Amino acid sequence: MPFNGKSGKFNASIGAVEVGCGEKAMKIGGENVLPFYTFDAPIENAPKVGVMITDLGLDNEPESVKAYYEGCTTMADIAKKAAEMPGADFVCLKLEGADPNGQDKSVEDCMAVVKEVVDAIDVPLVIAGCKNVSKDAELLTKASEVAQGKNVIILAAKEEDYKGIGAAAGLAYNQKVGAESAVDINLAKQLNVLISQLGVAPANIVMNVGTAAVGYGFEYVVSTMDRIKAAALSQDDKQLQMPIITPVADEAWNVKEAMASEEDMPEWGNQEARGVGMEVSTAASVLASGSNAVILKHPTSVATISKMIKELM
Amino acid sequence: MTLFDRVFGGNDAVYGLTEAAIDKAIAEHGADKAVAFPHTAYSLPCYYAVTGTKVANLGELKTALGVVKTLMTREKRLNDAFMSGVATALCAEFIEVLKYIDGATPYEEPLYGHLADATIRELGVPLVTGDIPGVAVILGSAPTKEDAVALVKSYQAQGILVTLVGGVIDQCVEAGLNMGYAVRIVPLGKDVTAVIHVVSVALRAALIFGNVTPGDAANLMKYTFERVPAFVNAFKPLDDVIVACGAGAIALGFPVVTNETENIFRVPKSLIVQEDVDKFNATSLEARDIKIKITKIDIPVSFASAFEGEIIRKGDMQVEFDGSRKDCFELVQTKELTAVEDHKFTLIGKDFDEFEVGSKNAISYIVDVAGKNMQSDFEPVFERKFHSYLNCIEGMMHTGQRDMIRIRISKATFEAGFRAKDLAEVLYANIKNEFDAVVDKCAVTIITDDAECTKLRHELAIPAYDRRDERLTTLTDEAVPVYYSCIMCQAFSPSHVCVVTPERLGLCGAVSWLDAKATNELDPQGPCQVITKERVIDENLGRYEDVDEAVAKFSQGALEHVTLYSIMEDPMTSCGCFECICGIEPCSNGVAITNREYAGMTPLGMTFGELASMTGGGVQTPGFMGHGKHFIASKKFMKAEGGFERIVWMPKDLKETVADRLNKAAKEVYDIDNFTDMIGDETIATDPETLLEFLTEKGHPALGLDPLM
Repeated sequence: MPFNGKSGKFNASIGAVEVGCGEKAMKIGGENVLPFYTFDAPIENAPKVGVMITDLGLDNEPESVKAYYEGCTTMADIAKKAAEMPGADFVCLKLEGADPNGQDKSVEDCMAVVKEVVDAIDVPLVIAGCKNVSKDAELLTKASEVAQGKNVIILAAKEEDYKGIGAAAGLAYNQKVGAESAVDINLAKQLNVLISQLGVAPANIVMNVGTAAVGYGFEYVVSTMDRIKAAALSQDDKQLQMPIITPVADEAWNVKEAMASEEDMPEWGNQEARGVGMEVSTAASVLASGSNAVILKHPTSVATISKMIKELM
Repeated sequence: MTLFDRVFGGNDAVYGLTEAAIDKAIAEHGADKAVAFPHTAYSLPCYYAVTGTKVANLGELKTALGVVKTLMTREKRLNDAFMSGVATALCAEFIEVLKYIDGATPYEEPLYGHLADATIRELGVPLVTGDIPGVAVILGSAPTKEDAVALVKSYQAQGILVTLVGGVIDQCVEAGLNMGYAVRIVPLGKDVTAVIHVVSVALRAALIFGNVTPGDAANLMKYTFERVPAFVNAFKPLDDVIVACGAGAIALGFPVVTNETENIFRVPKSLIVQEDVDKFNATSLEARDIKIKITKIDIPVSFASAFEGEIIRKGDMQVEFDGSRKDCFELVQTKELTAVEDHKFTLIGKDFDEFEVGSKNAISYIVDVAGKNMQSDFEPVFERKFHSYLNCIEGMMHTGQRDMIRIRISKATFEAGFRAKDLAEVLYANIKNEFDAVVDKCAVTIITDDAECTKLRHELAIPAYDRRDERLTTLTDEAVPVYYSCIMCQAFSPSHVCVVTPERLGLCGAVSWLDAKATNELDPQGPCQVITKERVIDENLGRYEDVDEAVAKFSQGALEHVTLYSIMEDPMTSCGCFECICGIEPCSNGVAITNREYAGMTPLGMTFGELASMTGGGVQTPGFMGHGKHFIASKKFMKAEGGFERIVWMPKDLKETVADRLNKAAKEVYDIDNFTDMIGDETIATDPETLLEFLTEKGHPALGLDPLM
C-alpha cells in the first residue's frame, strides 16, 4: 500500500495584521498551519523579528549592544541604527523611563522621544509602555495620537486599561492594539472579546499572551500558546485568531543567568554570551509555540533568530 | 394642538429660515462660494453622517436642502416626527455653517461654536472609558441664575461634560462661573441652532469611534443611542423650534427633560417633564441610564483590604453591636426603581456618639437596591460581601452574617469622626461600584433603636432569610432553565470545566448555581457562561448534548462527554480545588469519601493526596470524582449509580459536618433513620475488611445494591 501523506492544514487561519506603512509595511499572521509546518501548506508571512530600544538610551546595555550603536547620540540615531540591524524587520520603542518607580519621566518628555523615533525611521514600529497601569493608560493613549498615520502597534492594552488604550489606539487614531494577558488562554480570549466590543476590528488586534524566560515556568507559556493556536485553527475560534507578538528581550535579560556577573559566577562563563543564550532559546521556543513576532535586543540574537526563521521557512 | 403639529410647525419654520438664509448668501456670494466648518475632515458633519454626501459650496448646500426636504414627511407617525426632528437639526447645521463663510470667526470667548475633530478624538477616549460618564446639553434659561449654576455644577461634579446653549450661558457668566473645555463646561452659542455643534460631536464620534459608514443612518442612530450617553435639559418656555430640535435629539436616542408643562406631551423615557429643576440631574441620569463611578469613598478613616484582618480588643473599643445578645441583622432587599431614592441614608435611633463607651447595642442595616437587571437571587450574593466591605474600614471589625453579626468600632476610628452615615456610605459605594451592572439605585437604612431592631428582625429579616432558604431547597436541577459553566481554574488546569447546577455546586465548594448566575450577569464575558439543557440524551445519567458541546468548547476540545450524575460513565472532571474526593470501594459495593483536611489513610488504600493526584488535572477517571462538601447530601450525588446510599466511609469530622443534611435526605429518599451511623470512619476502620464487617453488622444498604462494576 503506498504511503499517502496527509496535509495538516486547517480550514481556519490566523488573522493577518498589517503593521507600518509604505514599502516597509509588514504582515504578521495569516497562516493556516501549525508553526513552521510549511510542509502542510505554505506560510505566507514568516514570523518577524523586532529590535527593542528604550528611551533610557544605552547606558544599561551589554557591551556588544553599546558597540553596535557606537556613535549614536540621539534617539533618532539609535532608532535608525536599530532599523538597519541585520535580520530586523521592525523596531520596538519601549518607554521604560516613564515608570513612576524608575525615572518617572513626564508624558510630554516621552512623547518627544516617540515623535523623534517616528520621524526617524520608515520600518514598522511598536510602542511599548512602562508596565505601570495608570501611567501606561495616559502614555499609550497619547502615543497613539503622536504616531498618527504610522500604523504602529501599541503594546499593550491590559484588562485594567484596555478601554482607554483600546479606544485611542484602535478607534481614534487607527493604530494596532496589542492585547496583553498573563499566560492564560481564557484571559487572552476575554480581553480580545472586550476590545472587540469597544468596536476595534479583529484585524487591528494583536496579542501578547505573556511570556517568561526559558526555565522560568516556561512550560505555561508553551501550553498557553499551543492551546491558543489549537483553538484558533482546529476549532475556528475567531476570538483567538489574532497573531501573537512576544517581547522576549525584557524577560530573557532579566533573569539571573543573564544578570549574574562573571566575578560572582566564574563557572558560568561570559555574562553577555549567557544573556544571548537566554534570549535566543526563549525566542526560538516562543516561535516554535506559535508566536508570530518576537522582540529582541542583542544583534547576535536578532541575526541568529532571523537565520533560524529563514532556514525553517 | 398635538405633538406632531408642534414638531412639524417648528420644522417648517426652521426650514423656511434656512432656505431664506441660503438664498440670501447665494445672492451675496454666488453659488460657487465655499462653505465649511474649520478643522474637520467631515464637511458638514451632521449632513455628511446622515446622507454620506459632502457639501463644498453654497450651490451644493442648496441641493442638500432639497434632500432635507424629503425627510420632512407629514404623516402623523412617530417616525415622521423623528425625521422632521433630524431635518430641523440639519437645517440648524446649514444656518450655522453660513456663519463661517470667508473664514469668519462667529464665536468669541467664552463661546465655542463648532468643535474641531481633534477635540472629538480627545473626548472620545474618556467617553469610551466612562471617565466622562455623560454629555449634558442644557438649553434655554433656567428659572434663576442660581438654578442654572447649581445644575451645571451638579453635572460637573459627576464628571459629566456640560454643553450650554442659549440664555443659560448669560446666567452662568453673570454668576461668575468658571467655564471652558478644561473644566468640562462648554458654552456653544446663544442661538438655538448652536445646539448642532454638540450633535456634530455625537455624530462624528459615531464615524470615528463606531466605524459607521457615512450615509448609514440606521447604524448611526443605533450608535448614538447605545454609545453616546447624551441627554437634553430644556428650560421653559419651549417654542415649536425647540420641540422640533428635541424630536431630533430623541431620534438619536437622547432623552429630553424639561420643566415645561404647557402644551407638552410626555413620551416615556424620551420626553420627560420634571417641574422641579433641582431634580433635573437625577431624572436625566436615570432616563439615560448613566451610572456615576465612585472613585473615593468619603469617610473620615481609611478603607483598604489591609485592614481586613484587624482585631479590635475590648479596651480599644468605642462601641459594640452583638447579634448574639441583641437583635441585629443585615439585609439586602430588591425594590422597584421608583421606590428607591438613590444614595438616600436614613438613621433610625441613636448615632454612634450617643452610646456609652464600651456598651453592647443593637444595630441593623437594610440596603434597598433597585435596577432593571436586578434579581432577588443576587441579594445573598451582595449580602455576603458586607463582611469584607465593613472589615476593610480602618478600626472596624465585623463577623458573622444575617442576624448573627457582631461589629466593633475602635475608639480611634470613632474619634476620627466615624458615624452611622459613614458605615452607610461604605455599603452604598461598594454596592454601586462592584455591582453596577445590576444596581441602578441604592439606599441604606441603619437602625440602632432596640425596639425597631427587634420588630424588623422578626417581621422583615427572618421571613426574608426563610424565603431564600426555601428558594434554595426548591432550587432543583429540573426546576431551572439553564446550568452554568465555571472555568475559573483553567489557569492551572486547562482542560477542566465545572458544570454548575443547583444540586451540584462547583467542586471547590465556593461556586453555587446562584453564584455562577450572578457572576455571569455581572461579568458576561467572565468564567461562568450559560449552558442550556434542552437536548437531553439520558436523564438518569445527566447526559445532555448541550452540556457535551459546552465542555468541548470550554475545554478547547480536550473533553467531549460529561455526565452530571454518574461517577462511572464520563464523570465530571476535577481541577484540583476539590473539597472532597470520592472513590469506589469494591468490597462493599459502595464509595468512600475523604476530604482535604483529613490527612490519614482511607479504606481505598490511598490518602487524600494520593487520590488527588489521580483525580485532578482535568482528567476523567471513572470510579473517582472530586466534589464539594455540600454535594454529599444532594439527591444528585452519583444518582445514576443509586445515589448517596452508596456512601460507606467518611472521615469522622466530615461525617459530623454533613450529618444533619445527610440524615434528613436519607430519611426522605430511602426512609433510613440516622444513616450516618451506618457509615464507617477512621475510628472504625481504615481497611476494607474491617469496614465490611462493620457495614454488614449495621446492615448498610449499599451491600444489597447492584454491583458498581
